[in-house]
Amino acid sequence: MPVGERFRHNWPVPTVLEPTRVIDPDADEAVAPDHPWIVIVWNDPVNLMSYVTFVLQKLFGYSLEKATELMLDVHHKGKAVVANGTREQAEMYVFRLHEHGLWASMEHDE
Amino acid sequence: MIRFRAPVRRDGDGFRIALSDDEAELVQRLLTELSELLDQPDHPLTGRLFPVVHPDDAEAEAEYQRLMRPELVESKRAAIGAVRAALDGDGRLDDGGLVAFMQAVNSVRLVLGTMLGITDDGDGDDDDEGEADSYEHQLYVYLSWLLEWSVRAMSNRAPD
Repeated sequence: MPVGERFRHNWPVPTVLEPTRVIDPDADEAVAPDHPWIVIVWNDPVNLMSYVTFVLQKLFGYSLEKATELMLDVHHKGKAVVANGTREQAEMYVFRLHEHGLWASMEHDE
Repeated sequence: MIRFRAPVRRDGDGFRIALSDDEAELVQRLLTELSELLDQPDHPLTGRLFPVVHPDDAEAEAEYQRLMRPELVESKRAAIGAVRAALDGDGRLDDGGLVAFMQAVNSVRLVLGTMLGITDDGDGDDDDEGEADSYEHQLYVYLSWLLEWSVRAMSNRAPD
């Protein structure tokens, strides 16, 4: 069961994700057992590339280069994994992406 | 001589939205219309504002939406409220205010994009689109322009 209610109020500021913890959607790497959920941003025809890059920097603390790389993955490959974490963390990230109007979903990485 | 002025720019510690009276009135009206759409649960034009989170798990999806959708609606209302207050005042915004402005403007863009059936990447001004001259399309382009300036203002403030 989602535990969204836990973070409905006074959410902590998202910590900076180490780039090494970002999963390349093309790579076949195992996900750390304690970070079994991945957050996916999907390509859509409305969101501006500059805006998507800005949002990824703001929410996840990525450098401009990393955020641009992920944005281009979304643009060209149709989607990109932008973060991973526990179910609660993934839900919080998805929510914040939705606040900004990005098209995001989450998956349990088996 | 007409001098171009950036519609969104840095101003001291924060930012300033500098719109003409007509533009401010237009944005206010669009935000009113967005608020009215948010009052209607599951309105087809707001689908893109509330994406599916668990595409392969209907039960998890229902549970997530039950818990979080009201929060998301409230967040969007809060952003609208912050922008309205700034436009009613002197147009000054702090960091959070400019983010709210971007969120609210983008929400309207997503609704307009759905109305226009925009399906191609880019700025939506494809030559072959019959709606290219429509009022909604011009609004869409205008709001895209405001959003680009907002991103630029924010990025100049904290360059990487």
